Amino acid sequence: MDIIIDQLPIVIKSLNIGFIQTLKLFFVTLIGAFPLGLIIAFGSMSRFLPLRYLTRFIVWIIRGTPLMLQMLIVYYFPGLVFHNNIWGSGEFGRFFAASVSFVINYACYFSEIYRGGIQGVPVGQEEAGLVLGMTKSQIFFKVTLLQMIKRIVPPISNEIITLVKDTSLARIIALQEIIWAGQAFMKGSQGISGQIWPLFFTAIYYLLFSGILTVLLSKLEKKLNYFR
Amino acid sequence: MKKFLALVLSAVMVLSLAACGGSKNSDSDMAKIKDKGKLVVGITDFAPMDFQENGEWVGFDADMAKAFAESLGVEVEFVEIDWDNKIMELDSGSIDCVWNGMTLTDEVTAAMDCSNAYCNNAQIVIVPAEGSEKYTDTDSLAGLKFAVEAGSAGEKEVSALGLDYTPVKSQADTLTEVAAGTSDAAVIDSLMAAAMVGEGTGYENLTYTVGLNSEQYGVGFRKGSDLCAALNDFFKKSYEDGSMISCAEKYGVQAALIAQ
Repeated sequence: MDIIIDQLPIVIKSLNIGFIQTLKLFFVTLIGAFPLGLIIAFGSMSRFLPLRYLTRFIVWIIRGTPLMLQMLIVYYFPGLVFHNNIWGSGEFGRFFAASVSFVINYACYFSEIYRGGIQGVPVGQEEAGLVLGMTKSQIFFKVTLLQMIKRIVPPISNEIITLVKDTSLARIIALQEIIWAGQAFMKGSQGISGQIWPLFFTAIYYLLFSGILTVLLSKLEKKLNYFR
Repeated sequence: MKKFLALVLSAVMVLSLAACGGSKNSDSDMAKIKDKGKLVVGITDFAPMDFQENGEWVGFDADMAKAFAESLGVEVEFVEIDWDNKIMELDSGSIDCVWNGMTLTDEVTAAMDCSNAYCNNAQIVIVPAEGSEKYTDTDSLAGLKFAVEAGSAGEKEVSALGLDYTPVKSQADTLTEVAAGTSDAAVIDSLMAAAMVGEGTGYENLTYTVGLNSEQYGVGFRKGSDLCAALNDFFKKSYEDGSMISCAEKYGVQAALIAQ
């Protein structure tokens, strides 16, 4: 126990650095995937058939393969096959490649949730809007969008909580997020070696963060209740 | 709205394809690193070869890498990699060399151009300290369940001896297995064992016993890289002027150093 208390400041410092990477990846993914998901949702509902089939094909590929594999392909494929490492060297390249993979992956999941939300709005409302002389985009932004947001909050919350933990997959391309930081002490880092507890300790970070998110998201859900 | 979206989507796809093109296949690694002004070295946190001190990478390998880059007139950049992916990292160009106490196995020498060996190492067996005295030679190890790092030199040794083993992710994981009792014994590098096992470490209840083989460390480059010959010259020069030996003494690995 004494050893753990001695090591705690070093471990916490290192885990904090790792957790900042985790948070960066988390927020970048959300900021990128929310709008991209909407674009993909429109693509998969398009009346222009080739576009619809192409988007649904892409969504199938992305949802049908492991995110870990997608990250390996995104990061290593350009350099291995085209001999042109587009990501550059160093930490930023890894972070950038991980962000791109995460954004695309989560956008595909979001797009299906959006599609459900949009198609769940009764078609009579759209018809009413048309009768009143509103344009298609007016109907979408003034009638459908807010109702869609209300409907998708619970399934999106689910994905957001999953994303918190999925960020740990980025360690496969050696992005130094919190699991990597915790695992480093098993092998030996900064004079601490052979310690397993820092890895287990990372669970506290995940629990606290997902706890905060759960509270915020349920508040948002309550706020949107007046649409009922 | 819809046409605009279709346009945006197709533009995104075309751009993502275009990003893959435009490759310039420069044939000389030396020209490439001089061009970008830095040598990118793939490492892991592996005392005493590469480890962090006050936010800076130091260690026998790290210091030699810095000196080598200086002799070429370029900066050095250390990048932590996943050891399993070292060949992919090298071939994809995200690093220029693997310089991290890498054992020269057949797999490594087949996939990379390796420098001359510069350091000796051995694979040794780790067991719980209690009852460790009955393991004196390789014959006494029969019947133990081993944990070894997947793809490591240790895995090759135990499978050659026909011992029962489970491959796990890293050398550190093998120690966890033994400490947790899920395996009876582990095989790791002796340099690492000295730092991680026994009194005053995280694994006080473990000890090291039988040595399985001796092996050597080298630096790995891409196939056909001209940096490899440059490093061999550099090793020779710094061994002769004594700077390599004094660097080894600084990190306590002078006994393992190989004359260049």
